[in-house]
Amino acid sequence: MIRPIGANIRALTLVIAIAFLATSVGVSYWTLVASADLSSDAFNPRLLATLLDRPRGRFIAADGTELASSVRLADGSLRRRYADRSLAQVIAYASSKYGAAGLEAAYAESLIGRDVADPIGQWRARYLREHPDPGSVQLAIVPSVQRAAAAALAGRRGAVIVVDPRSGAILASVSEPNYDANILVDPAQQDLAWQQVNGNTERPLLDRATQGLYPPGSTFKLVTAAAAIESGWDPRAKVRVDDPYQADPSWGSYHVRSPSQAHGDFDMSLAFQRSENIYFAKAGLFAGAQRLTEYASRFGIGAAPRCELAASRGQIATGTIDRPTLVADTSFGQGELLVSPLQMALVAATIARGGSLPTPHYASAVLDARGDPLRLVEPGAAGQAIRPDTAATIAAALVAAVEAPGAFASGARIPGVHVAGKTGTAEAPSGAPHGWFVGFAPAENATAAVAVIIENAARGGEDAAPVGGAVLRAAIGR
Amino acid sequence: MRARPVFRGTELGHLVWVALLVGLGFVAVVGSEREQLTAAALAVPVAFVGIALALHFFLAFRGFRGDELLLPLALGLAAIGLVLVQRLAPAHLLPQQLTWAIIGGGAFVAAILVPRDLSVLSRYKYTWALAGIALLALPVLPGIGREINGARIWVGFGELLSFQPAEAVKVILVIFFAAYLEEHRELLARPPRRIGPVPIPPPPYLIPILLMWALAMGVMILQKDLGATLIFFGIFLAMLYLATGRAAYSVAGILMLIAGGWAASRVFEHVNARIVTWLAPFSDELRFGAGYQLVQGLFALGNAGLLGAGLGNGMPERIPVVWSDFVFTAFTEEVGFVGALALLALYLVLVFRGMAIAMRAPTPFLQLVAGGLSFALAFQTLVIVAGNAKLIPLTGVTLPFLSYGGSSLVTNFVIVALLLRISDVTMRVRGG
Repeated sequence: MIRPIGANIRALTLVIAIAFLATSVGVSYWTLVASADLSSDAFNPRLLATLLDRPRGRFIAADGTELASSVRLADGSLRRRYADRSLAQVIAYASSKYGAAGLEAAYAESLIGRDVADPIGQWRARYLREHPDPGSVQLAIVPSVQRAAAAALAGRRGAVIVVDPRSGAILASVSEPNYDANILVDPAQQDLAWQQVNGNTERPLLDRATQGLYPPGSTFKLVTAAAAIESGWDPRAKVRVDDPYQADPSWGSYHVRSPSQAHGDFDMSLAFQRSENIYFAKAGLFAGAQRLTEYASRFGIGAAPRCELAASRGQIATGTIDRPTLVADTSFGQGELLVSPLQMALVAATIARGGSLPTPHYASAVLDARGDPLRLVEPGAAGQAIRPDTAATIAAALVAAVEAPGAFASGARIPGVHVAGKTGTAEAPSGAPHGWFVGFAPAENATAAVAVIIENAARGGEDAAPVGGAVLRAAIGR
Repeated sequence: MRARPVFRGTELGHLVWVALLVGLGFVAVVGSEREQLTAAALAVPVAFVGIALALHFFLAFRGFRGDELLLPLALGLAAIGLVLVQRLAPAHLLPQQLTWAIIGGGAFVAAILVPRDLSVLSRYKYTWALAGIALLALPVLPGIGREINGARIWVGFGELLSFQPAEAVKVILVIFFAAYLEEHRELLARPPRRIGPVPIPPPPYLIPILLMWALAMGVMILQKDLGATLIFFGIFLAMLYLATGRAAYSVAGILMLIAGGWAASRVFEHVNARIVTWLAPFSDELRFGAGYQLVQGLFALGNAGLLGAGLGNGMPERIPVVWSDFVFTAFTEEVGFVGALALLALYLVLVFRGMAIAMRAPTPFLQLVAGGLSFALAFQTLVIVAGNAKLIPLTGVTLPFLSYGGSSLVTNFVIVALLLRISDVTMRVRGG
């Protein structure tokens, strides 16, 4: 008995129908489910369509200065123009060939009139194919502060980032070396420029302010101090320091060394002035590995800051802090710690504003075509990291660390204003150590917090402190 | 014998839709390009409607009694294809595609007229097989063989038109398989031999399975474009099932193909690259390299949404050679998921009509031919649409009737003509 062909045809037809159904489900996934992800992908040419035939929205600074805009060339074509090279990694570029990066990618939809706060505009663009006039993105960047930061860093490899502690707004951000985004969007030069910029071993595309990872060195002592105080450590008590220091003989050949070969009694304020490693090693051992780890995470280390750019997470330790020598090392900022300048600026800002961790943001508002705000960008605090009185105690010590006679951070002084700050000198993987400065001003009611890193600085933190001072001075308008 | 003209009212009625489709499609696309709607711009759709009417009246005056939906369905799809060529392809391709539509119409008429008796097809099956092999070998010959985009699968006639013989070989293959499998059907009455619990197909089935598998493997390894091979192997397995009713044979064939493909991907870098590109086109290394076309295609699908961007308002032109491999994606971007469903439904109705013709065909040979041709249309549609949607690795096969390309269009018109003839024979034999 042979099965009739007709029955086989029916079965095959059923298989075909099922295959069509499965294919339709697959198509529905891309067209409906994954649609939002695909349309905001930085490499989707639809986001960059306006580069070719319509002006793309502008980036404007806090004072109204144009930072990026679309200009019409003599031949009638549109070209993206970037006004400030020192913002190359922040605003970055929107290239019809190489996609978008930085804030150009983060605000890609806002810049073509399809901001999330404008659902009707999105709907009209999507279904009616209207091309709304693009609005602008208002940044918190203050050009005078940005200029001061670029001038103070003076081309040295490193980064400077300035945060308004009250809001988390980023007032300036410089990363050296940088690149000229204008040639990346010039069709005549883009291929060669891309090769050069992308292949450069100094990595100019990397935003060292948010993505550079460095050992924090002594700037981490702010975190150690907070962990110790909130574990019951008395910041006014005198602690005996004798260089070199070993808690017990089980440490073997390992010793904590004092930068000033100190022998004497230190309270916390003096320890900050002289950046006394042995004092903070003892404070860290008092708090213990668990508290130290907990406070580092409370200050946001080990978690990527939530801002418009992809920022590094940093790390407290590769595993857990499981031995006293690593506790000691971590306490004064070496160990296995890695942080970004943005994270350290946020630590300073947290102490400046009484202990709550601000959420950083580059933009302050998205504006429509008429210049009216579509939405304000004002994320709230990420949480209370430490008690206000702890923050005040540390802030007072940090003022002394800048102003006291012989203080390491004296380079950051500003006449007539109390500056709080701390230098750091971090061991670099190769070459001279990296120099750090973190601080804020005015100390009592801070309007600016800064983090400076200079890679392979000859004098470590002492090179960084004057940069921090100059930038804070510009930021507070002195 | 001279037949009396008949009135094919359903067919004529549905051609109104075809005319509207091509007319409004051109108006929308030309309008979206902000060009003047000149008489010249409308010459192409008018000419296309002329072809459609010519084919209809040709059938009507011959007293043709076959299915009245197949022709409008095929012409409707070809109309969408022509609109998409105007929308997507460089300007000089539009007159070429129209020329191919005219040649396709001519091939349709020829296939209706010759041969006068369809059973001739089964009588000379080995001649067909030889012809198929010869056609496949043509592109290799110096002089007429052409290499386009790195693949030597083309034959050139003069300056303008080039032809992919592999498309025509599809039809020849269906006819050959139908004749061959029908001849050996009586074997099915006997229980298959077994090695342990595994049934072993009798040699007349086993040998072609192995041959076809070896051919598929050979082309996959030697040529970088495995689309045609996948189609050939798929048609063979489907027809093997239609003839024998033993799904196990076909499933075994599919498993052999997957196993062979997997083994080849371990040994040959270009096969492996294809699979890697399929699995992770968005990776940093691939999105500007081998995965570029697929990624751009998926961006276009993502822009579609439910209702699409509207004809002329998407950006499918960012996809390299969109008018050939990615017409489905381009179409979907501009008419949305709803439009994509409607298009797939058109194909499915076309395939269902073809399968219905196969069910009623009077002889096993004609049943196999109709079933095989319908399957070929369905399978090719699925392979390219699923490839566009990243459900299977992308292969460069055409979307029947829609993709730019003459070989495909002409072949598909011949397929429709053959299905119509089988339906006509059925009507005459069974009456009704």
